Amino acid sequence: MERALTTAWFNDEGRLTPEELQAVTFPMSRLGRRGYEEEPVQGFLSMVHAEFVRLVNERASLWQDVQRLRRRIIAGETDGDAHAVLFGKEDAHIHAVRILSTAQVTADRYVADAQAYSSRVTEEARLRRDDIMREAQQHSDMLLEEAHARAREAAVSALNVAAPPQTDRERRAAQAELAYLRTYSDVYRAHLRAYTEGILRGIEEWELKEAASVREAASVQEAASLQEAARGHTNRRSIGH
Amino acid sequence: MHGDELPLFFYSDLFIKHPEVRDLFPVSMAAQRGHLVDALVKIVSQVDSVNDLTAFLQGLGRDHRKFGAVAEHYDAVGASLLATLEHFSGPAWTPELAADWQAAYELIGSVMTAAARADEELRPPWWRGTVVSYERRAFDVSVLFVRPEPRMGYLPGQSVAIESPSRPKLWRYYSMANAPRSDGLLEFHIRLIDGGAVSMALTSSSIADTELRLGPPVGALTLSEPVSDRDILLVAGSTGLAPLKAILDQVTALPQPPRVHLFFGARTADGLYDLDSLEKMAAQHPWLTITPAVSADSKFTGETGSLPDVVARHGDWSGHDAYLAGPTEMVQETVDRLASAGMAKDQIHIEDFGWSEP
Repeated sequence: MERALTTAWFNDEGRLTPEELQAVTFPMSRLGRRGYEEEPVQGFLSMVHAEFVRLVNERASLWQDVQRLRRRIIAGETDGDAHAVLFGKEDAHIHAVRILSTAQVTADRYVADAQAYSSRVTEEARLRRDDIMREAQQHSDMLLEEAHARAREAAVSALNVAAPPQTDRERRAAQAELAYLRTYSDVYRAHLRAYTEGILRGIEEWELKEAASVREAASVQEAASLQEAARGHTNRRSIGH
Repeated sequence: MHGDELPLFFYSDLFIKHPEVRDLFPVSMAAQRGHLVDALVKIVSQVDSVNDLTAFLQGLGRDHRKFGAVAEHYDAVGASLLATLEHFSGPAWTPELAADWQAAYELIGSVMTAAARADEELRPPWWRGTVVSYERRAFDVSVLFVRPEPRMGYLPGQSVAIESPSRPKLWRYYSMANAPRSDGLLEFHIRLIDGGAVSMALTSSSIADTELRLGPPVGALTLSEPVSDRDILLVAGSTGLAPLKAILDQVTALPQPPRVHLFFGARTADGLYDLDSLEKMAAQHPWLTITPAVSADSKFTGETGSLPDVVARHGDWSGHDAYLAGPTEMVQETVDRLASAGMAKDQIHIEDFGWSEP
């Protein structure tokens, strides 16, 4: 650090500026030698940078104030109104501009927040939808496969049964198998119906939620515009000061 | 430099001096300030090429009609612009400088207002558009039919800026998806953008029967005139289909249509929201081929992969005229692929909004 502030970091006028401060890098100490850790140094530099910017801005603003007051005093000497000298009509306007600007920036932030929120909600809904669809697809694939396997089994056993002349016992068994398959197919259909209805309910719920979030986003925007209107009102009053 | 401070001061100064002008702007002014700076930078950087600058300013003047800008507003804006420059220049501001800026602004204002006045003879500042039908085609895509009043003349492939009643002063461009029809209806394909204020309003079912405002038709993604004898390649990603469907609609009416191959891509199969109507068209017209493609759905039975890949896989397009629309990245990559495969630049047509807000 003892070599840190060389003239190379100053500009042509020999002055240090925030930009130059931000661009400063320090040579690394050689291995095995003692040196500062980089992070705290950079952290400190960025604090210095922020403070620097603040000071430069403050100085510019003060300089403008001085200039304005100087002009006022020169002009004011003729009318002799000390109050008008310090708080001229121009100042009031600049104040109003600043207040309105702050209000506007606040309103902008509300709208941006509302938009970011709605963006997050839609994105989550989109991802959730993808999950539901994937799950449904997997489940229906599974059900189908199971049904196919069942049907294959039934067909095979039916073939086996059909070949030799049927005894009474075999016919009864085949009928029992048929009854079982009918029952199974009923159960399967009921399952599928319940599952599909479940998905439809999920989608309905999702649509309701989406509609609610749209309303919510709209009311946040409205709140932002009300807020801004209220601020605007305050501003106009303050012009009169 | 001052960054956002300058436009912030400008608009606050303008609204305090002329509160009625505030109503021409949206609640959030963040994007607006960016536009102002962009326009000023563009004007200053083009000062030496008078023709470009004049064309830019004329476009800007015409474009501002739909926002409700009138001649008196130009004086108010000029006064606030000067006040802003004076405030930020400090001691560098001199009466001579002020006079120069005043003269420059008056010139800018006169070019813009003259263009706006000339435009008044030709068309209204905006069209009233009644949403006569709303159909949700995919979870994030809706198709609207809108009746503009008065009738709107346009070239297939062009777009209009749309303002929805629930999002005042926010305008977004959408392409008509049909050539002008005898009943005058306009078809729009709207995709919900996450957090997109206008697209959210337009894809919501509550948009049915409402009245939109439509700006004048703009855009140069139109069938090249005179119609060349080359066959046509259309590459549409998602709702980029809209302008290409309008062009297809136009080709259908030609006495001898060229062969047309339309690639329609989406992430998943349900994003191919208009495939039914396209396939119906293909069944009627032997010169039309439709290839749907899906990029993130391995179960899809048709073409899978990114749209530029799918198009490239289908062979040599260098003898075609290509029209592309869709997400910027997809369009750019397809342009690169077609160009590197030997297609001449003037055979590739994409939308370039130039000065206007996308």
